[in-house]
Amino acid sequence: MIRTPRASALAATVALLAAAACSDGGDDVPVGGEEAGSGGTFVAAISAQPDQLDPHQTTAYASFQVLENVYDTLVVPNPDDLTFEPSLATDWETSEDGLTWTFTLRDDVTFHDGSELDSADVVYTFRRIIDEELQNAYRFATVEDVRAPDPTTVEFVLSEPTPNLLDHVGSYKGVAILPEGAAEDLDLATEANGTGPFRLEDVGADGITLTAFEDYWGEGPGVDEVEFRFISEPTTALTALQTGEVHWTDNVPAQRVEELQGSGDVTVETVPSVDYWYMAVNFARPPFDRAEVREAIALALDREAIADAAQFGLARVNQTAIPEESFWYHDYAPYERDVDAARDLLAEAGVEDLTMGLMVTDEYPETVEVAQVIAANLEEVGITVDIQTEQFSTWLDRQGAGDFDAFLLGWLGNLDPYGYYHSQHVCEGENNYQGYCDPETDELLERAATEADEDARKELYDEAAERIVDANSYIYLYNPSVVQAWTDEVSGYELRPDRAINLETVTLS
Amino acid sequence: MTRYLLRRVGQSVVVLFGVSVAVFSIIHLVPGDPVRLALGTRFDQRTYDALVARAGLDDPVLVQYVNWLGNALTGDLGVSFRSGRPVTELILERLPATLSLAFGAIVVALLIAVPLGLVSALRPRSAVDYVATFVSQAGISIPDFWLAIVAILVFSLTLGWLPSSGYVGLTEDPVEWARHLVLPAVVVGTVSGAVLTRFVRSSALEALGEDYTRTARAKGLPRRVVIGRHVLRNALVPVVTVTGIQLAYLLSGVVIVEVVFAWQGLGQLALQAVETRDYPLLQGAVLLFAVFFLVVNLVVDLLYAVVDPRISR
Amino acid sequence: MTALDDTPAGPAEAGQVAAPDEAVGARGLLRALLRNRLAAAALVVLAIFVVVAVLGERLAPYGRNEVSSADKLRAPSLEHPFGTDQLGRDVLSRVLIGAEPSLRVGLVAVGIALVAGVVLGLVAGYYRGLVDDVVMRCMDVLFAFPAILLAIAVMAIRGRGATNAMIAIGVVYTPIFARVTRASVLTVREQVFVRAARSIGAGDLRIMTRHVLPNVAAPIIVQTSISLAFAILAEAALSFIGLGTQPPEPSWGRMLADGRGFIQDAWWMAVFPGLAIFAVVLSFNVTGDALRDALDPRQRSAIESAAGRG
Repeated sequence: MIRTPRASALAATVALLAAAACSDGGDDVPVGGEEAGSGGTFVAAISAQPDQLDPHQTTAYASFQVLENVYDTLVVPNPDDLTFEPSLATDWETSEDGLTWTFTLRDDVTFHDGSELDSADVVYTFRRIIDEELQNAYRFATVEDVRAPDPTTVEFVLSEPTPNLLDHVGSYKGVAILPEGAAEDLDLATEANGTGPFRLEDVGADGITLTAFEDYWGEGPGVDEVEFRFISEPTTALTALQTGEVHWTDNVPAQRVEELQGSGDVTVETVPSVDYWYMAVNFARPPFDRAEVREAIALALDREAIADAAQFGLARVNQTAIPEESFWYHDYAPYERDVDAARDLLAEAGVEDLTMGLMVTDEYPETVEVAQVIAANLEEVGITVDIQTEQFSTWLDRQGAGDFDAFLLGWLGNLDPYGYYHSQHVCEGENNYQGYCDPETDELLERAATEADEDARKELYDEAAERIVDANSYIYLYNPSVVQAWTDEVSGYELRPDRAINLETVTLS
Repeated sequence: MTRYLLRRVGQSVVVLFGVSVAVFSIIHLVPGDPVRLALGTRFDQRTYDALVARAGLDDPVLVQYVNWLGNALTGDLGVSFRSGRPVTELILERLPATLSLAFGAIVVALLIAVPLGLVSALRPRSAVDYVATFVSQAGISIPDFWLAIVAILVFSLTLGWLPSSGYVGLTEDPVEWARHLVLPAVVVGTVSGAVLTRFVRSSALEALGEDYTRTARAKGLPRRVVIGRHVLRNALVPVVTVTGIQLAYLLSGVVIVEVVFAWQGLGQLALQAVETRDYPLLQGAVLLFAVFFLVVNLVVDLLYAVVDPRISR
Repeated sequence: MTALDDTPAGPAEAGQVAAPDEAVGARGLLRALLRNRLAAAALVVLAIFVVVAVLGERLAPYGRNEVSSADKLRAPSLEHPFGTDQLGRDVLSRVLIGAEPSLRVGLVAVGIALVAGVVLGLVAGYYRGLVDDVVMRCMDVLFAFPAILLAIAVMAIRGRGATNAMIAIGVVYTPIFARVTRASVLTVREQVFVRAARSIGAGDLRIMTRHVLPNVAAPIIVQTSISLAFAILAEAALSFIGLGTQPPEPSWGRMLADGRGFIQDAWWMAVFPGLAIFAVVLSFNVTGDALRDALDPRQRSAIESAAGRG
């Protein structure tokens, strides 16, 4: 591997001097670089403090809000239709048998410390994730080898065709590319050395500061500095936005959206997200093992009221997981509220005086709201719901231990149907906590995972989805919207359905 | 006096020892394996082993305690499960915000309590007294988070006088430090002030009834002098005690007001530690709070003994 | 009298609390309270809320969790005098039904603290010596933890919900009751009538319950009233961070906490439960204050309760 940190550091210095020279002439005139940015500090209010900043280890959304702007991946989802487009990799091709994927890397990318990106860094990154069995290791179950035939080429050798490999190497910054040896040289929990538009400057209790990276390979950045502040109380975050203390926030209460959009003080935008929320019952606990009981529950729900309680008209009812904007959307909605039919089904199953514990968490307050509507709905068919609000950590333990009757939760940020359906519904799936097991669904999902032809693959997933919905493995409820707001000083910001907060092209006036 | 001092210090040490045992037990009181719980679904054997080893949880309990206490005495409170950073560092990072808010709030509380309490003591059962009583009682009867939210909506959003949230370092920008401090300090100070007002009133009433006050009045000293020299001074001695205790509480972080104002102090840190089951961090924070409390109490008691020698007899 | 003060003759204890021979009878107490107009009003308010808590559901025009997405966030009207909440539930009904859980949390929590604290304080003050040292140092340890955090920690270990909230708040207030009791016991135990009882061979238990306890009741009663106020606020604070009464059960604290995000769009969601909390807490405080004036002229309990705010 050839790395030339000294040479590129020198280059950076030269670039800096040149920039300084340019601006020398007119100190009083705002300096517009080629990026058309007028500099300044962009202040964003996010609702939680990141737990740590190692992209391969953290699972917190707050961490990824920051990391999105510090690191890059081989490919990235396009903000409009979420198909993959080049990022650190310019090109990729798949071998005839689908077992070898070859990525060609950009040759003009430097890390924040000035060293150049090459294929060894990419190999190091994926070896780290796979060998150390980190968070995303499961995505690479079919990867037999990652190798670097030359400095700008990376090959993934697979045990079986993996049509959604792009999703695995690029759907979010959890698979960010690190420089070789980063985990040994740096404390990645608080330090970073990425290739993104901003470098990590300071991590503190009050906030996280990023500064513009002059040698960024893409366009931008348009601001000199980004500051993330942590404001958990929505009223406070919104007030801070309205008074101009911050430029941007995603901590906007759904009930305020309509009024804010009307007032014109700030820009509030919403876009349907790729997320879905659902209820699952425990197949291992009678009577929830009976299909009639699950169907009765599905029929008793007032899904419109549920979506309304969750996000005040911004959430859309969906009886499958994938939202209608997606290529993979399948229009299938067999359930319509029918209290009598639900009662009959329960009677048929011989179930009386059923009490169902429903586990929710105030980590996601919408689950608590929705649970109250579900409780009212189910009461009408004679099921008493005991709402159990837990700390998220406790919630996850109980889920993992199978210690629940039913729970409410969502899946965030999936793009490929594999992510939407596979690990949740195959018999031995690592996220199949409800205990659904149907050999035919398994077969469909396994075939779909390796089917190279997109249309054929979609058909397999459509069929699997129908079986999943019919059996009520998950009782799908709705797809929420992404809601974010910013001041009129901000331009160039684009809301994304996958909730990534990309500030590369943002400028301030 | 020396004997009293030694006895009080000795008691504090005993209590501190008890506190350290209690704090240490937190990690063992939690049902289940604390590391397993802290990791949740992120569980993997390597991280687990590393955390267990780092927290020394594979040693016998007594050894663990001795090590933990020994390290704590040298300022090493272990490593946070969640962030992997030293607990001492995390705490120090937030100390300035907490100190600012605690002292700011105490100042506000005294500014409210002393005048209001004195005025009502001087005219007991008058209209002024009733109004002061009602105001201070009302002050204690409003949940603080509610006061905080209303304050933000009125003073930041509607009037635009003050920033809504966040902490700015004193050394960074003293003016912004003060501007950011006002709202949270007033909210916290109002509640503390309401408690103190009742107390100032009753100690002033008591001082007014004492022999020396009556003597001073009988001697024909002007009312202003009597109040200033005799009543105020004597009334304030017990007020200092209560103020000290209030301060000790405020130093432990005012969890809820901190959350509303996005004030990155120790209260929020401790809350976060509970929510994420970050036991080393929780232990460190709680130990520090207890030390604050004991030290402030000790200092107040000793001051008290100096002012009023009757106590140390 | 501060956290660790061991001397029975601290500044605030220089005198003694309601000398035994003056112990006020219940009727006298009520008369004293009713003479104070503010306290009389407070007692009336409390009586009304107790009636509401007992009748609860029978007074409410709608059910506790009668959701109706079509009727959400309705302003107060004849049909819904206090408006409706974000799920279309009638706020008046929930305020009425919420009286019982809100008051119960306060009463049970203070009850726990009262029983545990009084027993410990009585034993410590009566036997003195090693027992006293051990009990009171344990109370000091408990007292050194910040109240809200201690409550949160208790709930982290025991799980959330109203029952655990009661236990948590009860634990937090135990040391205050222990101290108030002990301090009074110290002044009473050397009194003539106690010595007399001892000399005729009465057992410790009998002396404690028959002779000591009735004569230390005054400051404990005052402390109880003030603690009730704080306990109801503490439940609201715990609800704010999601630890108190669990939905759909309507406690005032929970409703106030849920309503805070709607203050600009639907003020009624928070204002009515907020007023209920304010009225009850204020009434307990005013009653406590009046009781103190009547029973505890040396204001011992004032100091303890000031110290008890976390």
